[in-house]
Amino acid sequence: MTRLLDLGLDRIRNIIMDMAKLSENSVSTAIDSYQSGAHIKKQIFDWSEKLRVLQEEVSDLVVELIARYQPVASDLRFIKSCMEISYGFSRFGRYSYDIVDVLETMGSIADCDKSAVLEMSKIVMEMIDISLQALQSRDKNAVEKLYQMDNIVDALYRKYLRDIIESSQKQQQNNKLPSEYNNSPHCYISALLILRYLERISDHACYIGDSVHYIVTGVSSPRR
Amino acid sequence: MICGLTADEAIHDRLLKEVEPVKKDRDHDQQVLPKYKVSIRNLDGWFGTKQVLKNINLDIKPNVATAIIGPSGCGKTTLIRCLNRMHEMTPGATAKGHVVIDDINIYDKAVDPVIIKRRVGMVFQKPNPFPTMSVYDNAAAGLKLNGIKDKRLINDIVEESLKGAALWDEVKNELDKPGMGLSGGQQQRLCIARALAMQPEVLLMDEPTSALDPIASSKIEDLVHELKKDLTIITVTHNMTQAARVSDYTAFMYLGELIEYGPTNQIFKNPQKELTERYISGKFG
Repeated sequence: MTRLLDLGLDRIRNIIMDMAKLSENSVSTAIDSYQSGAHIKKQIFDWSEKLRVLQEEVSDLVVELIARYQPVASDLRFIKSCMEISYGFSRFGRYSYDIVDVLETMGSIADCDKSAVLEMSKIVMEMIDISLQALQSRDKNAVEKLYQMDNIVDALYRKYLRDIIESSQKQQQNNKLPSEYNNSPHCYISALLILRYLERISDHACYIGDSVHYIVTGVSSPRR
Repeated sequence: MICGLTADEAIHDRLLKEVEPVKKDRDHDQQVLPKYKVSIRNLDGWFGTKQVLKNINLDIKPNVATAIIGPSGCGKTTLIRCLNRMHEMTPGATAKGHVVIDDINIYDKAVDPVIIKRRVGMVFQKPNPFPTMSVYDNAAAGLKLNGIKDKRLINDIVEESLKGAALWDEVKNELDKPGMGLSGGQQQRLCIARALAMQPEVLLMDEPTSALDPIASSKIEDLVHELKKDLTIITVTHNMTQAARVSDYTAFMYLGELIEYGPTNQIFKNPQKELTERYISGKFG
């Protein structure tokens, strides 16, 4: 027999899966626009807003289910985690918007070297995919792989940041920028900002993996 | 608790003199640890030929509230009735095993069940004040039955017990009125006061709020929280949220067996047994 609580849980599950698709699409579309130069700020803003509204809807539903049905055990862990997961998806939307906002602010970056962003975005998109699959299949072990990939993302971000700092120092010493950054501050500033947003998306993909682990095992994975 | 209460000290002394502490090398499977107020070992219970408790093993720490949950007929009430030897008062009902309270096996042949009932108080599902007695006499009934005649002592104990049951302020000017004239919630607290007057060390509560409205239930729940500072409380409840609210530990029983026992926080957030998960989530029963 279906419990009344199950109807609410199904509703939350459906919203979460809608958010998963929309947030993944937002990030990939934002990255595509970085590559292609397409102006899609309005579109990404709308999606980001929709994700925010859906996140609030999940929160409201969670509170309602707690108040009406006092869920316990795996039901309780699931709805608690859904609040965190929906927040993660809404952040995906927000960072997607931040990425396209950088592109709007910086102007054309058609001539910039995009390899660092594209390298990291490939990993981050894979992380999003893994986290969503983990959510669907309740794979508690995915979190390990996500954190390994997050370490790579962090390293890439720090390396790029270090390179920029070293280049600035060389510029001060030689009173000019090295050739790869010369005359293109918008290139490395935009890349650095976008790398930062991707690094944050990577963190949230890990948190989704954490939530899946908690739903399945009842034990919080240690925050790394 | 009532300080300097000679009646209870006398009862306790008598019990200690009458009964040898349980020996560690009895046929226990495990050693009984003194850090527990109540230790149940290999307890079986029957009604006639029907076994209703199957090899129950459970350790209950002092000054905690323990909730026993499980579907109807799983043996919850029988279990707590075994803890003060009330079970055997039902015709055809028997129990076998060890229930150790403070190193004394209450099923030892040398133990007088009447003394056990003084040390282990009980409150029932339906408030049952003595119908012909006043509020005062209800609270004092146990003392008088046990031969306490000192009026001043009885007065003190009645007042302390009614205060302990959070009822004093509501009845202090109506002590001579019939106990049955109180509201359902007040009657239940009067029954708790009656039990407290005997200075029990363990208080058993069998669905103490199932006949009460939410406000009266809430008062009893608050009371459990207060009383466990002085007592060890074991309560049977069908109300999952009540178990989650009032207890420190929860035991889940099913078909006469203890399925899972642990901190309430763990049982309700992350039960280790699938059966527990299914029961507390309302997936069966």
